[in-house]
Amino acid sequence: MRMLAAALLVLLAVPLRARGAEPAQPKSAAGASTDSTVSANERGAQAKPPKTKKPKKAKKPKGDVPAPDEPVNPDEPDETGGKGARATWKQHPSLRFGSVFRLDFEAKFQEDGRATYEGATGLESWELHRNRVGIQGHLFKKIEYEVERELTEKELTEKELSAGQAPKSPWKDVNVNLTFIKNAQVQLGRFKVPFGLDTLTGVTHNDFIYRSLGANYLTPSRDIGGMVHGRFFQHGLNYSVGVFRHDGDNARSRKIQGGDETFAARLTGTPLRRINPRAFTNLELGSAYTLSSLSDDSFRPNGLRGRTLLTQDTFFEPVYVKGHRSRWEGDADWTFGSGSARAEYTVVLDSRLQQGLANNDLKDARARAWYVSGSWAVTGEKKKRPLKPNNDFLQGGIGAVEVVARIERLWFDSLGSGEAYRSTRAEFVLPEGEKAFTIGVNWTLNRFVKLQINGIREDVDRDRNPALPEMFPPAAFWNKVIRLQFVL
Amino acid sequence: MVMKRFRVIFVAVVAAWTMSTLVRAQGAPDPAAAFFDDSILHEIRFTINTKDWTSLKVHYLENTYYPADLRWNDVVVRNIGIRSRGTGSRSGVKPGLRVDFDRYTTGQRFLGLKSFIVRNNTQDATGLRERVSMNFFRHMGVPALREAHAKLYVNNEYAGLFTIVESPDKDYLQKNFGENGGHLYEYHFDNAAVAAGAAPFVFQYLGSDPALYVPVLFKPETREDDPQGEVIAQFVQAINDTNAASWRTSMAAYLDLAKFIRYLAMENFLGEEDGHTGDYGPNNFYIYRFLNTNRFQFIPWDKSNTFWENANYSVFRNLEDGPVEKRNRLVLRALQEPDLRQLYLNTLLECANSAAEGATATQPGWLEAEIGRVYEQIRPAALEDLLIFSNEQFETGIADVKAFARGRSDAVRLQVAAHQ
Repeated sequence: MRMLAAALLVLLAVPLRARGAEPAQPKSAAGASTDSTVSANERGAQAKPPKTKKPKKAKKPKGDVPAPDEPVNPDEPDETGGKGARATWKQHPSLRFGSVFRLDFEAKFQEDGRATYEGATGLESWELHRNRVGIQGHLFKKIEYEVERELTEKELTEKELSAGQAPKSPWKDVNVNLTFIKNAQVQLGRFKVPFGLDTLTGVTHNDFIYRSLGANYLTPSRDIGGMVHGRFFQHGLNYSVGVFRHDGDNARSRKIQGGDETFAARLTGTPLRRINPRAFTNLELGSAYTLSSLSDDSFRPNGLRGRTLLTQDTFFEPVYVKGHRSRWEGDADWTFGSGSARAEYTVVLDSRLQQGLANNDLKDARARAWYVSGSWAVTGEKKKRPLKPNNDFLQGGIGAVEVVARIERLWFDSLGSGEAYRSTRAEFVLPEGEKAFTIGVNWTLNRFVKLQINGIREDVDRDRNPALPEMFPPAAFWNKVIRLQFVL
Repeated sequence: MVMKRFRVIFVAVVAAWTMSTLVRAQGAPDPAAAFFDDSILHEIRFTINTKDWTSLKVHYLENTYYPADLRWNDVVVRNIGIRSRGTGSRSGVKPGLRVDFDRYTTGQRFLGLKSFIVRNNTQDATGLRERVSMNFFRHMGVPALREAHAKLYVNNEYAGLFTIVESPDKDYLQKNFGENGGHLYEYHFDNAAVAAGAAPFVFQYLGSDPALYVPVLFKPETREDDPQGEVIAQFVQAINDTNAASWRTSMAAYLDLAKFIRYLAMENFLGEEDGHTGDYGPNNFYIYRFLNTNRFQFIPWDKSNTFWENANYSVFRNLEDGPVEKRNRLVLRALQEPDLRQLYLNTLLECANSAAEGATATQPGWLEAEIGRVYEQIRPAALEDLLIFSNEQFETGIADVKAFARGRSDAVRLQVAAHQ
């Protein structure tokens, strides 16, 4: 925390120009960093790289200076110039050897201040939410690599480990991406399963402090695997197809085993990019599907659970599942001038073979989620992720100020209809869910520092059983969250 | 015309009110009475996923709930919750169970019951000490929990002979005390700590902090969100008040001492080795604090260690002997009062008379006859249940318990006479 505060002070006090942050580093859209998706608008907004061998060194508009959390394209000319081994700090602190090797150092810090309903347990008012460091770069421009680690991940106690609880990996993205064939790049290692627009949006790029309910609890997120991905028609069509060891970190917890052997495929495109009106040029549509195997090896229920956004109170306990888990999502991502809109719908079906009280098969358990969100940069910046100020704070401007809003729902039940119970082996699962509404302001001071303020109204729709002793939130409540983000 | 209609309605309302008042006064029939009817050996069937049943037995030390369907006679209750229960009696071979009807279905009841206990009797080869003891308490006018024996089937396989026990819950309180809005606590004996050498809680004053008592020693069973442990702290402080002159006065606010002493005498008449004056420190009771008062009432619980050793088991055990750190300070202090001590002795004699009731040269007294009645009822099912005890252990245990009951009245009379 002290380090974060000191760094912030330095950044606010020292003029950016003095640190030589001038030349643009156009980013890659190859997906080397799976922690971020690049929308059609973002790609459209990027200046195409000059094809000359010696790029012009003229200063570019400040808006084109890449932020630290923008992806790197190894095919872009190295504007730091020079040959042989050297150290530079343009987008990141970086070590380079000619154009054949690049090693960037990166860091992400997020400090959160939080308040919620009275009596909530296990919620600290202040939390260093993320404290990640990593490296990324490329070798011979054809082998991209990335390693990122969370430094504040809580480790389990011996007692928890002996109880069979699996620790959540502090390793985030650890992978290589082979780009020998642009239309069929091969990514190997640990990275995000290609599913879910919100989940695939980088953590520092998100319009909201917390991802949507569906992204948090229904999408897979990271896992170890291999993936082939590429694009056609100048990003008009993008695809990703992969297989993974399990079905992602989000489906697993200390008590829930999660699924195994996942196949995933995602397709995105900008079908309206060539038609009028041009307002829909940047409308990107996407869809993804995953199929995982589900075992009932654990004596605990292995289904998905529903939790609140901030306090993570469980409002839907997992049910027993076995067989296959299939996920499907459809999404739309539209940017227009200073504004943007997003929508996503996700459905997950878990089969329940032999999970009845008499070892009979039950109808699939089902989880569904949707959200619609919008943003508007009131200071006039063109919408990108990350949003970059036209004029940095204390550098002739106030930075970029953006207002955002999101409405969403997450709910659980089972297929079919009949007398429903809350039981973990109920023939028909009692429907339970949550609605949430988020409003917020994002203030990007400069390309390193962002302040986010969110008010989140959560409305839990649950049959309240006085027989259950667990602490539980009120039916509806407000959360207030402020986040200070620093990227390097 | 309007007036006539009004009169008719008025008369109908008054009649309905009068009828309902009469019904309430006579006591509405208890729908669970048939379930606890101990004149028959019941049969209970659970349908539970085989993986869950295995898991419950493997993880029998955990309180994880599993869904099941229950069948009793022609009554089927779906999606109930069952879990392993017990302290020393917990078993992965023959699990004791807590059955909750509203765990997965809000408000679900079975014959008006929210829950009941399926006791496995793994510490009692006879399987009947608990039930006979509760019957004796009721015979003596103490509102003890109702019990009956049942053959348990899980997925149509015989799982053993168990005792079904009424839960000490709000329904029990309402039925026996006419109210249920107060604070009910289950006393928690810390087996692990005592086994590790720690001194047990013997009603010594630990301090005024409610957290020293609730929930570590007294686990709230009602009004969990407002446990009011400070009243228990004050109660314990009053017990340990060294001022002899004010002791009775201050205790009167917390406990009906006469009622407590009678309860203690009955327990000790039964030779309870793990009760208020047990060998390990006070154990096996619930305590209820009546609504809007500081007055407590003890409720007997788990009497599987009664009929201990033989008929000569001392009714002064751990009162006049035994380690000082395990002697119940409430009992010791109360018996310093001459009238309470005399009440204790008189109640023991009353128990002796009651247990011997109906005895002739050829007929056993009430207590031995009761043991014989239960034995005849459960014998075939017990002989079929070899999970914990052999048939020889069962029969030997029955013979011991009968011998205890046969000689207990005379033995207690002799002990009382020696202390008059």
